[in-house]
Amino acid sequence: MENIAFLPIAPEIAALAGAILVLMSAVALGQERKEWGVAGAITLLVSASLSVLQWLRLDSLGSARELAYSARGVTETVLGPMVVMDHFSAVIGIAIYLVAFLALVGNWRLVETLRSRGAEYVALVLLAAAGLHMMVISSNLVLLFMGLETASIALYVIAGFARVERNSDEASLKYFLLGSFASAIFIYGVALVYAGTGSLSIYGSAGIRQFFSTEPVAVINVGVLLAGIALIIVGLAFKVSAAPFHQWAPDVYQGAASGSVSLMAAGVKIAAIGALIRLLMGAFGSRADDWAPLLALLAVLSVVVGTIGAIGQQDLKRMLAYSSVAHAGFMLTAFVAGAIAIPSILFYLFTYVIALVGAFTVVGVVSGVRSGASAFDEYNGLFERSPWIAGSLAVFMLGMGGIPFFSGFVGKFAVFANAISAGYLWLVIVALVASIAGLFFYLRVVVIMFFEGPAKAEAPGTATAAPRMTGGSGFVILLAAGLTILLGVVPWPLLNVLHYVL
Amino acid sequence: MFPTLAVMILLPTLAALVVALIPKRRSELVYPLALALSFVPLAMVLYVLWAFEVGVPGFQFTQQVLWYEPLGISWHVGVDGISLLLLVLTAILFPISIAASKSVEKNQKMYMVAMLLLETGMLGVFVALDLLLFFAFFEITLVPMYLLIGIWGSGNRVYAAVKFFLYTALGSALMLTGIIWLGSITGTFNFTQILDVSLTSTQQSWLFLGFGIAFAVKVPIFPFHTWLPDAHTEAPTAGSILLAGVLLKLGAYGFIRFNLTLFPDAAVRFAPWLAALAVIGIIYGAAVAIVQPDLKRLVAYSSVSHLGFIILGIFAMTSQGLTGGVIQMVNHGLSTGALFLLVGMIYERRHTRQISDYGGIAKVMPIFGGLFLFSVFASAGLPGLNGFIGEFKILLGSYLRFPVAAVLAATGVILAAIYLLWAYERVFTGPIVHKENKKLLDLDKREIMIVAPLAILILFLGIYPKPALDRIEPAVDEVLQRIEQTTSYTVPHFGMPDDLVNMGVGE
Repeated sequence: MENIAFLPIAPEIAALAGAILVLMSAVALGQERKEWGVAGAITLLVSASLSVLQWLRLDSLGSARELAYSARGVTETVLGPMVVMDHFSAVIGIAIYLVAFLALVGNWRLVETLRSRGAEYVALVLLAAAGLHMMVISSNLVLLFMGLETASIALYVIAGFARVERNSDEASLKYFLLGSFASAIFIYGVALVYAGTGSLSIYGSAGIRQFFSTEPVAVINVGVLLAGIALIIVGLAFKVSAAPFHQWAPDVYQGAASGSVSLMAAGVKIAAIGALIRLLMGAFGSRADDWAPLLALLAVLSVVVGTIGAIGQQDLKRMLAYSSVAHAGFMLTAFVAGAIAIPSILFYLFTYVIALVGAFTVVGVVSGVRSGASAFDEYNGLFERSPWIAGSLAVFMLGMGGIPFFSGFVGKFAVFANAISAGYLWLVIVALVASIAGLFFYLRVVVIMFFEGPAKAEAPGTATAAPRMTGGSGFVILLAAGLTILLGVVPWPLLNVLHYVL
Repeated sequence: MFPTLAVMILLPTLAALVVALIPKRRSELVYPLALALSFVPLAMVLYVLWAFEVGVPGFQFTQQVLWYEPLGISWHVGVDGISLLLLVLTAILFPISIAASKSVEKNQKMYMVAMLLLETGMLGVFVALDLLLFFAFFEITLVPMYLLIGIWGSGNRVYAAVKFFLYTALGSALMLTGIIWLGSITGTFNFTQILDVSLTSTQQSWLFLGFGIAFAVKVPIFPFHTWLPDAHTEAPTAGSILLAGVLLKLGAYGFIRFNLTLFPDAAVRFAPWLAALAVIGIIYGAAVAIVQPDLKRLVAYSSVSHLGFIILGIFAMTSQGLTGGVIQMVNHGLSTGALFLLVGMIYERRHTRQISDYGGIAKVMPIFGGLFLFSVFASAGLPGLNGFIGEFKILLGSYLRFPVAAVLAATGVILAAIYLLWAYERVFTGPIVHKENKKLLDLDKREIMIVAPLAILILFLGIYPKPALDRIEPAVDEVLQRIEQTTSYTVPHFGMPDDLVNMGVGE
């Protein structure tokens, strides 16, 4: 077969092969050696590079901006194409693999402290990354579901990996039960869509997209179809932790080992938003009038619930979990504008996950990669102890808060501009008020780090020394902080690149 | 053409970088270097002042670079007569504030970095001609100021800092909504292009409110003023000077630049309401200032009262009122800046701001007493000093449109004299009751040098305001012309002989 047929799934192949390699080498080399960890990190970089290669390949194809592949490499079969390779899937792939890489490198100490089980952890990270990307390259709803499950099962295990920690089991079980429930809802939605359209494929001549643009949908089918779309949205809303499907996020973020939350929070967010874009704007794009109000409702609930929830938190990870609910809401506001909003959503998504990975890496450094808790007390006077870490965390907080000259401002501006031009002014006003209220808890972190004195020595369990940092964590933190500022001052290069996705 | 304004805005940021890179073991360099570098933007601003062509309408030194086409954002800057003097005020107040911060011990390097970044933001606000650029600068000034209050403030500083930040940020959120909406209506964020688009009356009303609340919080107009006394009181001396001197002016400037110019129809309709709130602010601020036991809080409340005058002048929408409003922005920056500076100096010596802890200290600190009295007179609007000309023009201008408001506001002048002179009397005159005050040292040469530039400018603008007025009036008349062209409003003029009016305005 030609080389091209493998390219669309090359990053997944690399990641899966890497996972096997890591497990095998851990057996072969023994637990004292750490080469498998390096191999895992390199594999993620290889996958990211393959995604870049996909992008370049698509550029060289010129006008044909999107390629579809079935399992057999033939585009026209009864079922339609299985996998799609377009700029969108390529750029999401780059983001997912890089985020997984940064999450792994930034929390290298977790891999070290897990000892022999480190190899399993690295393999699970690779599997999760492959599954997440599969959600976005799938042009078939069942394949999308398989990607979702591959990633989810790997992440359920990762959530429970720090078994000695008290909350880790709870986090894992909660994540698993609620996640399975969401998966079931999602697959039921897929079944209803199949019942309504007679197709599982998104693209192709018999695909869902084609069905909506040609078939006058019979009255009896509309209810089934809309119910299917709604259930699919609910299933994915769970993954992006949009309210009211967000309850798992705070407990899981807090319970899981701090070093593993980066991937769980950032990677899943990228993939789930990507899948939502693929389904809503790709498959159901012509039914936008039906799903847009639902998305607006989810967006409003998310920004309000996330913001109010975050205000009272005493734990940085819980606060970040609730704020991630609000951020999901901010991104969902732009969905109402349709496909034109994709670059804005992606910009918001990427800048947010950069800040999020940076923030969780700081949590890993300050509160320890294996522990679950990250009480605000531990951050008292952090600025005195280690000004660079405190400064970086402040940058992430200001970035997420949407202060001008930080990346979050450009992202917020872009998604809100889309929502306003789609006529959802009320939505933007609610979101903006929530984003200002959000400043309260972002600034609180800054206050704690900069304004309060160092933690009192008599308080038990509080660190007064400068936190120890590995080279990897330092690299990730400074890179993320640098990007958060750089993309706030000169966002245009990334925005221009993202416009190719359209 | 040389991008004068861009360099002017970026110089303080570069200075901040230089200061940030000073290694810890050479920390004694921080203060002198920051002070020296703060004179570079001042030199740039003075060059702009010198090269600015008087009497030419429109913006000068304009520079426009398309920044991002799909969203219609450009780097567009320019100076006109309204922003020119505010730029000069900003650039003068920064070296003074930095010089007044020599005794800051806690992390002095970061303090200076925050100050210099603040200068970039403040200079940027006054020259930005792209709405998003304006918003970005407007919002970014919050962060260094928040840190200045929160880290280096006194007493209840964290509460004051958070309150300050959230109040102003909430206002800005509404403005950002307004900006995005305006952008989606007009298809551009460029100020000069938006001028050509005619907005409907309803659109103007909503946009006026969106922008107006942001500026009203910043000014602050009663009832949005409650953040101000806390922030002013808890901020370090330099923070108070810059808050009163520049930050409050961002709001008043925004009212003129955006609310009057872009939404003239709504401005005409809302003007009586704003004038009413301004008068309430004038009298309320003065009344609360009278009973303040805390000297710094007293000056803070006097700002509420003085800013009421400025808003009254702006929304009188007459040539005299608007000119008076602009010149009074500068005056208030100078005289209140001087008062905060002096209060800071006495606080450094005695570590108390309570008026009752002082008394009779003019005997031990004659120079300090003299300078304080001078600033008090300037703030109270004594003829011959700068405050008089501004307040007089404002009262004259507002009398044309809102006679009752002008009469009520005039009582504010009397109240100002009461609270300022009474405070002076309690602090400086009479016998020394507290024995700690007996050995207070008078101002040294360095401190006198810091206050001197302000005193000289106060005197200069009081005696010879013509250079300033010549630059403000064409810009102000342009704003009023636009209002007359786009609405049915006619700017009232005096019916009395011209020479009488001119005699009054002191030219």
